[in-house]
Amino acid sequence: MTAIAPSVERTQDVVIRRKVKRRPDYAKWGLATYFVVFLIFLYAPMILMGILSFQGYYGGVTFPFRGPVSLNWWRSIFESQVGNVFTHADEISAAGQRSLWLSLAAGGVTAFFAFTLSMAFRRRFRGDSFAFYVIMLALMTPGFLLGLGTQLFWKAIGLQTDMWASALGANSVWGIPFGFLVMLAVWNRYDDHIEEAARDLGANQVTTFREVTLPLVWTGIFGCVLFGFTLTWNDFDRTVLLVLDNTLPLEIVGLIQASAIRPDLYALGTATTLVTLVLILGALAVVTIRLRLRGRRVERVEEELGLVGAIDAEAAAAARAE
Amino acid sequence: MSSSSSPDHGGDSAHRLALEEVEEAEALLEQHPPKTERALGDARPGGRRGGGGLVTLAWGLPGFVWLGFYLIAPLVFIVLVSFWTRTDTGFVKHWTLHNYGVLLHPFDLGNAYWSNMLRSFYTSLIAVAACLVFGFPVAYFLAMKVQKLQNQIALFILALAPFWTSFVTRSVAWAYPLMGREGALNRFLTDIGISSIDHPLLDTQFSLLSVRLAMIQLYILFMVTPIFFLLAQVDRHAIEAARDLGGNWLRTFREVILPQTMPGIVIGSIFIFVLTMSEYGTVQVIGQGAQSSVGTYIQNQVLGIQYPQGAASAVLLVVVLILGVFGITRFANLREEI
Repeated sequence: MTAIAPSVERTQDVVIRRKVKRRPDYAKWGLATYFVVFLIFLYAPMILMGILSFQGYYGGVTFPFRGPVSLNWWRSIFESQVGNVFTHADEISAAGQRSLWLSLAAGGVTAFFAFTLSMAFRRRFRGDSFAFYVIMLALMTPGFLLGLGTQLFWKAIGLQTDMWASALGANSVWGIPFGFLVMLAVWNRYDDHIEEAARDLGANQVTTFREVTLPLVWTGIFGCVLFGFTLTWNDFDRTVLLVLDNTLPLEIVGLIQASAIRPDLYALGTATTLVTLVLILGALAVVTIRLRLRGRRVERVEEELGLVGAIDAEAAAAARAE
Repeated sequence: MSSSSSPDHGGDSAHRLALEEVEEAEALLEQHPPKTERALGDARPGGRRGGGGLVTLAWGLPGFVWLGFYLIAPLVFIVLVSFWTRTDTGFVKHWTLHNYGVLLHPFDLGNAYWSNMLRSFYTSLIAVAACLVFGFPVAYFLAMKVQKLQNQIALFILALAPFWTSFVTRSVAWAYPLMGREGALNRFLTDIGISSIDHPLLDTQFSLLSVRLAMIQLYILFMVTPIFFLLAQVDRHAIEAARDLGGNWLRTFREVILPQTMPGIVIGSIFIFVLTMSEYGTVQVIGQGAQSSVGTYIQNQVLGIQYPQGAASAVLLVVVLILGVFGITRFANLREEI
């Protein structure tokens, strides 16, 4: 690794320069059009939902649009009474908050275990193939099976299931294989020599981990949080048998089963899309800013070692010596 | 590093000299492989340093304890229950093979369990194939044709945003305003004169077609994401090199891009296969009771407090899922290649 290649004119080093003829990238515009069509396909239900959420008092769950155009259904997801109609606002907002906290927690737990497990898999160890399939088993277990199994098992050992003790576990188990695969992909592209270099430069294991490893795989970890959050946010199967108080999906299914779907569900759906979009873009902005700040890494190392200016001085001394 | 396959024009000494030079260069390359290649060849340095067992254990143990308690224990318990006997309020610990006997006898499509299984399997196959065909161009566009990373992420999040609305809500919006008899699709078809509200051209309301289309809509991003992730990592120089060597687009795609993307396709297929096979919430909301799947079949048994029977059905489903996933993973070595 330390050997220096002799300077030999290699065939692949010869650079042939020629004028590049630019031609319009038809494929790009074709694919861009396709992407727009794809977005329309994805958003079609959302758009229809958005339109129908502005119906009037007699609004139903499908077309025709029953006017007049009003904000009644939007108000009814925030206010417990609109006009003389009682709404589900209180239950929905309580369920929404529970869902939000549970999903955030599941995102964190998922990322933590996906990351630590993937760290273990960076080296081969005895039984690692078996361990790999155990993690994949979490992916292959149908949600309702895990929910039922957890309920029966906890009952058998005399424990009471609830949201934080059992639903969080069941949901994070679901997110872990997704995050784990993301992290495996990250490690397979990760250059271990960087860590070696850090250790050669005198950093201990903890410093190497904090200053070199973590910043490089930060985006992967963020991906794990996203997976954990999204899967839990959408989950019905795993949660339904384990909690006493409804999460948002459970609340909505409850409303559907009670034949109580009204355009307020559509207002809620549109609102959650918008809110989560803002949340995620916000999180992304925070990560971007963090990465920007981390751009000045050399100075930080200097600061931390109490060597501000020392490296420059050393370089200057070396230059003078020449 | 294949040997040169250029045609050898016997006596041409200049040509032979050139060939020798190439061979020399190749020999040199083998002695000092470029860094990227070494990194690819030994991406996961197995047993790099001795004595790392404790460190590995420390990293792995918490995760496996967590999985042991929240995954393995409930699963083992379900397997046990599937061998126990049903009572009116649940089950008792009387060992029996009856629950599996019911499922395996008769072992044909006259058995509701297996006819549901087959229908779910078709749904799954359609979903996997459709998500691949329709999702790949999306991932390709994002990874290859959008230049700036910020734009890639922004567009990707735009595609991801509907996923943060609960799938239940999206299913309702799919079942009624879009695919319902008075929904947007049938209204549009009526407006252009090829359908009518009372006698729709396409049977979309609560139909199997609607369920299958909804699956594509609900799950396609599980295919787009891993493919996008791997496409973004494909070595651009390799693509350029392939073009410079005269490979047309199709050949470049088949021999350079596709092999490097295969693990993403495999992962996406696993996600969608597993998710759609065991799906029951969507089937219920969109089918409104008119459609069934192996998931709804098992769910009905559980709701009828037939825990042991439901458990046995679910265990067999997991076996089928494992076989399917095992089949899919034949196409790529996930641990080494993603």
